[in-house]
Amino acid sequence: MKKMLLSLKMSPTEIHQLNLGPITAHAFNKDRSQVAICPNNNEVHVYQKSGKGWNLIHALAEHDKLVTSIDWAPESNQLVTCSQDRNAYVWTFDSVTNKWKPTLVLLRINRAATFVRWSPNENKFAVASGARCIAICYFDEENDWWTSKHLKKPIRSTVLSLDWHPNNVLLAAGCADFKARVFSAFVKGVDQKPPPTPWGDKLPFNTICGEFSNDSSGWIHSVSFSPSGDALAFSGHDSQICIVYAGGETQNIRTSSLPYLSLLWITEEKLIAAGHDCVPVLFEKQGQQWRFSKVIDVGKKKVVTEATVFNRFQDWDSKGIREGSKEIELNTIHQNTITSIRPYQGSRHDISNISSSGIDGKLVVWDLK
Amino acid sequence: MSYRSTDVDILDEDQLFQKDLFTFAGGSEVEPDVALKNVQAKGVDVRNFLTRGNTEKALTTAIENPPYGSNTTDAKDQNTKIVMEVLNSIKATDIPSIVKNLTLEQQDVLMKYIYRGMASPELYNSAVLLNWHEKLTEVAGVGCIVRVTTDRRTV
Repeated sequence: MKKMLLSLKMSPTEIHQLNLGPITAHAFNKDRSQVAICPNNNEVHVYQKSGKGWNLIHALAEHDKLVTSIDWAPESNQLVTCSQDRNAYVWTFDSVTNKWKPTLVLLRINRAATFVRWSPNENKFAVASGARCIAICYFDEENDWWTSKHLKKPIRSTVLSLDWHPNNVLLAAGCADFKARVFSAFVKGVDQKPPPTPWGDKLPFNTICGEFSNDSSGWIHSVSFSPSGDALAFSGHDSQICIVYAGGETQNIRTSSLPYLSLLWITEEKLIAAGHDCVPVLFEKQGQQWRFSKVIDVGKKKVVTEATVFNRFQDWDSKGIREGSKEIELNTIHQNTITSIRPYQGSRHDISNISSSGIDGKLVVWDLK
Repeated sequence: MSYRSTDVDILDEDQLFQKDLFTFAGGSEVEPDVALKNVQAKGVDVRNFLTRGNTEKALTTAIENPPYGSNTTDAKDQNTKIVMEVLNSIKATDIPSIVKNLTLEQQDVLMKYIYRGMASPELYNSAVLLNWHEKLTEVAGVGCIVRVTTDRRTV
């Protein structure tokens, strides 16, 4: 009997070591030919894809302190970066001089900025900060600058993460005061009045459409709206993932692993989480119940080298290992915490590839199919 | 030079207090003496289960409804003593099966008591607790331990 071999079109996992130290943030451009990363300092490095590797083409040095977050708007091709120096810059590419030109954004915050994301229509962006507020920034045509409005109440501590709802008005925020909230970031003059959503109808600026928390109170590291926007998932430092539906239903998953720092919905029923366990994992909704499905990174078996006397002394000399078979490397691709996962390929409702970056300085592109 | 001894935090107009950040049971805390009475009543039940040999029921009763609160220290100490009695009287061979039958919430509370017991090695047997810790971590994973460290509701 002949067996039919189906040719699976699976792209191999791409692993790029872009920095010896941590990668603080990463963002791809629209066609994934360029990536902007922060190599754990006050600069932003832009790389161009060439063959299987990446070449450094620009180093953007305008910030004074660590750049905490980067986002690349796919349509308008603008970069926004925010930093611990309490500033954010919007960068526009000038193809004549082949340089990125920065424009300062007036955030008016007195603490570090922690996270930034463009809105779906790219006419606004939100900056989370340690000043217990979120700055919603939009371009003021009259004065030709980026200005901001603050979402302040009732945030009581540093805002750690943000996610925009697809309607360009609602914004979810995960905070160190153990709460995940959904705000309305409706800016008069910039936004049209949005159609009613399950989260609420009349939504002036700074309305709270929902406030959620875990019972064992951990900092909320990551929030993410589902592809339709009707559900919100958030992960806390207490190793729990909570999925809240706008209708009121809540599901709590107590995981047996270390906390997750980043969440991403890949379909309306599947969720990828990554964090201190150094591997992306999949959570799936089976029937009515959300549960842990599988680990994305299977992990490679270590090749055991011959433990000859020469090898043992060599290891002792170069790595400080006395016994021959002590393992110093994790058998997963990432060798340290994954801090950020972002969609790489696919539509919002069906993401097929994701990219991850972490404290080990690796940028990895995963194929989920 | 007196400015060096000024407490700048009290001058900050937007201070964050513990009560703003986190409240037990949504504000309706149990009074310390009521909590102590509940714990003592629980202790009687637990001792009955132990004398009858029903160690699993004894454990679930002991870790049920812990006396969370900001000033229920007596009740907490008493409850810890009761839980330690139960943990010491369960045979080492029974531990894996008992731990597997606990719900996720019960596992978290049990881990909290294990750490509470290990914090006072002069009062409680750490070797027994270490064994319980090992068996519980096998079933519940490190997430359970993380929840013990982050949860503000201490036992």
